Amino acid sequence: MGQLYQAISEVEENIAKLLNEVRSLKQYVEYLEEENVKLKRQLCAVSEADTARVQKNAARIQKEAQENLEKLYNEGFHVCHIYFGEPLEGSCLFCNAFLRKD
Amino acid sequence: MEILCSREDFLTGVNTVQRAVPTKNTLPILQGIKLKASDNKLWFEATDLELSIRCYLPVTIHGEGEVVLPAKLFSEIVRKLPDSDLKIVSDDHNVNIYYNNSNFAVNGFDPEEFPEIAEITSEDPIVLPSALFKDMIKQTIFACAVDESRPVFTGLLLHIDKENILLIATDTHRLAFTSSVIPGNEKEFKGIIPAKTMNEIYRLLDDEEVLTIKYNKSRVIFEFGSVQILTRLIEGQFPNYKQVIPQSCNTKILVDGKKFLDTVERASLLSRDNYLKTNTVRFSVENSAIIINQHSEMGKISEQIEIEQEGEDFTISFNAKYITDVLKVINTEQVIMEASGSYSPVVFRPVSDDSYLYLALPLRN
Ligand SMILES: [Zn+2]
Repeated sequence: MGQLYQAISEVEENIAKLLNEVRSLKQYVEYLEEENVKLKRQLCAVSEADTARVQKNAARIQKEAQENLEKLYNEGFHVCHIYFGEPLEGSCLFCNAFLRKD
Repeated sequence: MEILCSREDFLTGVNTVQRAVPTKNTLPILQGIKLKASDNKLWFEATDLELSIRCYLPVTIHGEGEVVLPAKLFSEIVRKLPDSDLKIVSDDHNVNIYYNNSNFAVNGFDPEEFPEIAEITSEDPIVLPSALFKDMIKQTIFACAVDESRPVFTGLLLHIDKENILLIATDTHRLAFTSSVIPGNEKEFKGIIPAKTMNEIYRLLDDEEVLTIKYNKSRVIFEFGSVQILTRLIEGQFPNYKQVIPQSCNTKILVDGKKFLDTVERASLLSRDNYLKTNTVRFSVENSAIIINQHSEMGKISEQIEIEQEGEDFTISFNAKYITDVLKVINTEQVIMEASGSYSPVVFRPVSDDSYLYLALPLRN
């Protein structure tokens, strides 16, 4: 009888331990979920504010680069990969295609 | 070496190979034409090391052998000989040409010095009709660059991919593209053939013949009839030509090619620019007409051609040659022109034929 009682007590202890672990895991999951929501919210906040700025910046740089290349071409230099930077005689189909594409 | 042949045959042989003799100063031996008599054939051979031309004539041979004669002098002699049978006898490096009761002796070179033209042995050559290839050369070769600063543009890209054959030329200001079909072909070839070689093929190729192409990584032989043209391929990467072909246009017109050609040729008479060495022609497309109003200190021209027009009006300037060159090779009566304003390339195509396309950039002024 004493032996059986002891065995059941041990099982009870084990179950209590497991329950504790489950409880702490549950808390951890809750924490992670909260963290995830927070990060998502942060990410969205970053996107909305900064994406536009980054995109605008990129567009400006792109536009400036395009304008510089067009200027270079109009001043009489190749901007195509075949002759880049070399003096242009008249016009170049490859420069033209390159500037048109961008 | 001792052979008998007619002066006419002899002249044909000389004329066939002579364009491979270099015009610039090179090795003295290359200024010669090699004659080789063997197996009842008289072979003519000339080379500038890039391009070699070889051909043979069936002749009566009394003694085999080979000689190399100075091309210029030799061809002049043959041209000026009376039309009779010739007996040609070599004595060491020199040659005696006997005609009527006369004799002309020419001092030659040592045939040992003449470069051996390496063969290309190909078990499986590409075979195609001559007329097709001649037509393709004619439609594209004029767009090659003359300036040799970028060698790839002085050649034509020949791309054979199974049944499809493409030929493309560009000098970066304009581009000509043509394609056709070789039914049953399973071979592939891609290489840049020098325009000079293509010119010789065009000159010598007979419409009725069959053209055989043998090739390895660096060289190609074109064979037809009794002629062989051997050429080195131009090294380098031919640029991606597809990127320069506009995919859309703002204006599409349909014009009578012959009428437009005549008009442009007349207008260009007034615009000889001796400084730029180009004839500029400027025209407007408006209200379904091409309108030219051009004047210079030499005179004035006003012409109008009725066209079919779809899309917006525009005014554009061209090097006249960029237009006349293409209008001379498009076979259809009506020509399609696709433009997008004054500064974008204009595409020219024959009506209802996707196999040919030409585009040229206008002048920017
Ligand atoms: Zn360029």
